Amino acid sequence: MTPDDRACLALDLGGATTTVSLIARIGGRWRLLGGSSAPASTPTEALIATVVDRLLAADPALSGEIDAAGAEHWPRLVARTGPPSRIVVLAATERSLGRLAGAARRAGWSVLSASAESTGPLEMTRMMLRRDVGAVLVGAADPPATDERSLIADLAELVAATAGRRPDLTVLLSGGLADHADRFDDPVHSSALAEIVGEADPGTEPGIEAVGSSAPTDVVDAIPPTNGAGPAATSPTTLLVAPASTAGDPPGDVLRTLLDELRSKADDGRRAMARATATLAGHLGRRVETLEIGHDGALRAVAWPAGAGGRTNLRWATVAEAALVPDPVDDATVDGVLGWSTLPLDRHRLRDRLAELRLAPWAEAHGDGAPLRMAAARAALERLVTLTPELDRPVPDLIVVSGGVWAVAPGAAVGLAVADVLRRPGATQLALDHARLLGPLGTIADDALRLALVADLVDDLMAPMGTVVIPAGLRAGRSSGQLVVHAAAGTTELDLIPGGLELVDLPPGESALAEFRFRDPVTLGSRGRHFAVDVAGGLGGVLVDLRDVPLHLPDRADRRRELLAAWQRALWTGLGS
Amino acid sequence: MSIRATGGVAVRGADDLPVGLELVAPRRLLHAPVTARVELGPGDRALVGPGERVMAGTPLAERLRDPQLVEAPALAGEDPRRPGDRMTAADGHGRSFRRAASVAGELVFRSGRRWRVATGDVSDPIEAPGAGVVREVYPGSAMEIELDGLGLAGAFAVGVPTRGQLAFATDRSGEVHATGLDIGRAGTILVVGARVDAEALTRARAMGVRGIVVDALPGKELRDFSASERRQRAALHRLPPFAVLVLDGVIRRPIASPVMVLLEALAGREVGIVTDPPAILIPGDLPSIPSPPPDWVRVRHGPYAGREGRWLAPLGPRRFPPGVHLEAGLVKLEERVPVAVPLADLERFV
Repeated sequence: MTPDDRACLALDLGGATTTVSLIARIGGRWRLLGGSSAPASTPTEALIATVVDRLLAADPALSGEIDAAGAEHWPRLVARTGPPSRIVVLAATERSLGRLAGAARRAGWSVLSASAESTGPLEMTRMMLRRDVGAVLVGAADPPATDERSLIADLAELVAATAGRRPDLTVLLSGGLADHADRFDDPVHSSALAEIVGEADPGTEPGIEAVGSSAPTDVVDAIPPTNGAGPAATSPTTLLVAPASTAGDPPGDVLRTLLDELRSKADDGRRAMARATATLAGHLGRRVETLEIGHDGALRAVAWPAGAGGRTNLRWATVAEAALVPDPVDDATVDGVLGWSTLPLDRHRLRDRLAELRLAPWAEAHGDGAPLRMAAARAALERLVTLTPELDRPVPDLIVVSGGVWAVAPGAAVGLAVADVLRRPGATQLALDHARLLGPLGTIADDALRLALVADLVDDLMAPMGTVVIPAGLRAGRSSGQLVVHAAAGTTELDLIPGGLELVDLPPGESALAEFRFRDPVTLGSRGRHFAVDVAGGLGGVLVDLRDVPLHLPDRADRRRELLAAWQRALWTGLGS
Repeated sequence: MSIRATGGVAVRGADDLPVGLELVAPRRLLHAPVTARVELGPGDRALVGPGERVMAGTPLAERLRDPQLVEAPALAGEDPRRPGDRMTAADGHGRSFRRAASVAGELVFRSGRRWRVATGDVSDPIEAPGAGVVREVYPGSAMEIELDGLGLAGAFAVGVPTRGQLAFATDRSGEVHATGLDIGRAGTILVVGARVDAEALTRARAMGVRGIVVDALPGKELRDFSASERRQRAALHRLPPFAVLVLDGVIRRPIASPVMVLLEALAGREVGIVTDPPAILIPGDLPSIPSPPPDWVRVRHGPYAGREGRWLAPLGPRRFPPGVHLEAGLVKLEERVPVAVPLADLERFV
C-alpha cells in the first residue's frame, strides 16, 4: 500500500475467522465503509463480494465515487494468524527448564519441554523428531550450575545427534550449552542474533521495542522461517547461540524477543497488532493495552508514549496456550473454564463442548454457546495474564479487546469479563476492535502512513465499550461511600455497596466526571478517600466494580456458578436465568 | 444448473450456487490424492523405502511397543555409523566387542565411546491401508505414502492405518452397543451411526473388527478406549491394526446423508482408514452416486444439529438469543416451516 492509494481492503485471516473490511479515503479522510466476518472456511472472495454488494446497495453514489465495484482489485492489507509453530525446549534441570520454557511460551510457540532430570533421552529424541517441531531450544544456566555440569555434555550430544537427522531444525543453544556448539556438524550460524540483541537503541529500555521514525523494526528478516517447510532438507542445521534465560529486564526478555522473531512471519497478525497498538498509543498519547484472544493463540501488547519526538515504547507477548481453547483440551483447560462457567455442565460434557468449540470455533455462537464462549474467554485471558505478569503494571488508560469471542456479548458483559480477570485497581476505558483492523493496519511498514490511517480511523476501528472502575481495599459493610457522575444529560448518584457491581448508563461519545467519596481510604490509582475520575461512555456505560481485589469466588461449584451467573445476568439482557 | 460426473464423483461449479449459499462453509466430501503420514518413533523399523510401490496390506513398519535405550560400544577407530542407522545383532564388522553382538536397534546418540541404542522386544506391524507409493521415510519420525484412490475426510481418528470390508451395524442416526457386535464382524470396517461407546469399541477390537466409522465420539469414551488399548498393549501378543474414524466431532448427531449415501454405495467393498489425515480411503473407481441437490445444507451445530434441508435465502445479520448478531440464512428443514439458522452452523457439500 502506498500513500497515493485511495481505498484498500483490510483482511484479517485468522485460524477461525476471516474478516474483510473496506477502507477508503472520503473527503480527505480514511473511513471504514463496511465489513463482515465469517468462519475461516468461507471463501475470502465470496465474503469480499458480499460486503461490496452491501455497500453498492446502501450508497450507490459513494460506491461509484470510490469505484467499489472493482474493490477486488484494491490494494490489500493482509494480517494472518495460524497454528503456532512448535518448539522443543530441553534443559539439564527443571529449574533451568522453567525459565527457558517460559520465554518460549511468551514468544508464541507451542512448547514441548523436558529436562534431563525428569525425562529420558529416548523421549527427548522422540519429541525432537516429531515432524511438526521446527526448532529446539536447549540450555542451562550461565555458567552451568553444579548439578547441571554432569548432564549438559550428554544433552548436547543428544541434540546434535538429532539435529544431524533433522537438517531442517533450527537449534538454539542458550547459556551454558553455548560452549557445546562444536558438537554440531557443519552448522549454519545465523548472524541475526547480533542484530537482535546486540544493537539496542541507546534511548530504549532493555527489552522494550521503540516504535517510531527510527524504530528498529523487522530486524530479523535474515533468520530463515521455521514454520511449515523450513529450509531444504539437504541444508545443514541452523544453529543459533541464544542469550541466557536470565538476560534482559524482565529476566528472559532478550531470549523471548529472539524466539518471537524466529517464529514470526512477515505478515504475522499478532506482531502487526502489537505494532498497531504502539501507533494507537502514540496517536492518543495514552497508555494502551491490547488483549487479543484467538483460536490459535493470544496477544497481550502494552504501548505508551515515551516523551518527545513521537516515540512510543512497546512490550508484548504472544502466548499459544492462551488460545480460546488450546489443542488438546486437557484437564487444566477444562478446570479453567469450569471455574468461570455459568452453565450446569459436568466435566465430561464441558470437555466435549470445548472440544467441539476447538473443532468448529463458530459453532453455536448463540444460545448456551454465548456464555460458554465468555467462560472460555475468561479462562484464556487468565492464562494470558498469568504468563505475562511483567505487563500488569501500570494500569493502562485504554484496553482494546480483540478477537471474535468478544463479539457474542454486549459491551457491559465484555467489561465484566475483563474486570473478572484483570483485578487492577484503577479506571480504564474499554474498546473493542470490532472490525479487526488492528492487525491489517499493523502490517503497513511505513510508520507515517500507518499513523495517518490509525489517526483517521481511530473512531471507526474501536467500538467504545465504556469504562471500568475498580477500587481496592473496600471494607465490608452496607455502604462504603457515594458516587456522583456528572454527565451532560444530568447527574447520577449511587451508593457504593461493597461486593457489588454498579452500572451507570453513559452512551458512546459522551464523557463525564465521576466523583467517588469513600468512607475509608481505598486504592484507586493512588490511595485516598475522594477521587474525581474522567470516564468515557460506551455501549456498556460505566461499570463500577466494588468486588474483592483479587476476586474471591465460592469453592462450591453450584454457588460459584450462581454468583457468576447473577453478575453476568445483570449486565447481559436476554441471558436466561 | 449443470452437474457433471467425473470418475463417479459429482462436481458442481461455484457459479451454480443459489444466492447467498456461497457464504456457507463448504464441506468437501472427497479428496485426492491421499497422502498418508505414518508416525514412527526412535527404534521403529521402516520396512519400505522412498519410491517403493506398496500394495494394500504391505508391511510398512514395525513399531516398538515398549522401546528402551541400551548401551553398545562404539567401533574401534573411526566409527562410520551415524545416529538413525540401524544396528543388527551381528553388526560390528568383525571389530565389535562381545556386547555389541547382542544389541539390535536404532542408534540414537553417542556419548563418549558408547552408543545409546533404541531397541525393544515386541513390535506391532503397521500395514499399508491401500496401494500407493512411498514418498518419504524419516527414520524414527514418520513416513509419507501417496495412496491410490480417493479420501473421504473425517474430523479426527485414533489408532493405526487399517483396511477391511465396509459394513453397516446400524443406520445413520443409530448407536451400537457392545452386545450388538459378534465375531461375524471380524475383518470389517463397521459404520456404527451417530455415536459409539468405549465398551463397544473394545469389544469390536476383541472381535477382530478392523475399524469403526462413527459420526461422533465423546471425549470420555475416547479416553476410556485409549486406556483399554494401553492395557491391551501390555500383553505380549501382537495386535492387528485397528482404527476409529470420527466423521464430525464429539457431540452426537446423525451421519450426514450425502456421506451416508457414499458409504452405502461402498458397502461390501474393501476400504481403508487413514489416521493422518483422518480419512476413509476408497481405492479404485467410485460407484455412481446421486449428487445432493445444489441447495442442500446440513445443520452442524445448535438446536437443529444433524438436521438437513434446503437453502431458501440469505437473511443478513440477524439477532439470536441472548442478543448475539450473526449472519443467517433461511432454511427449510424436512417437514418443518422455514427457520433462520446462523450461517456458521450450516455446511454444504461439494
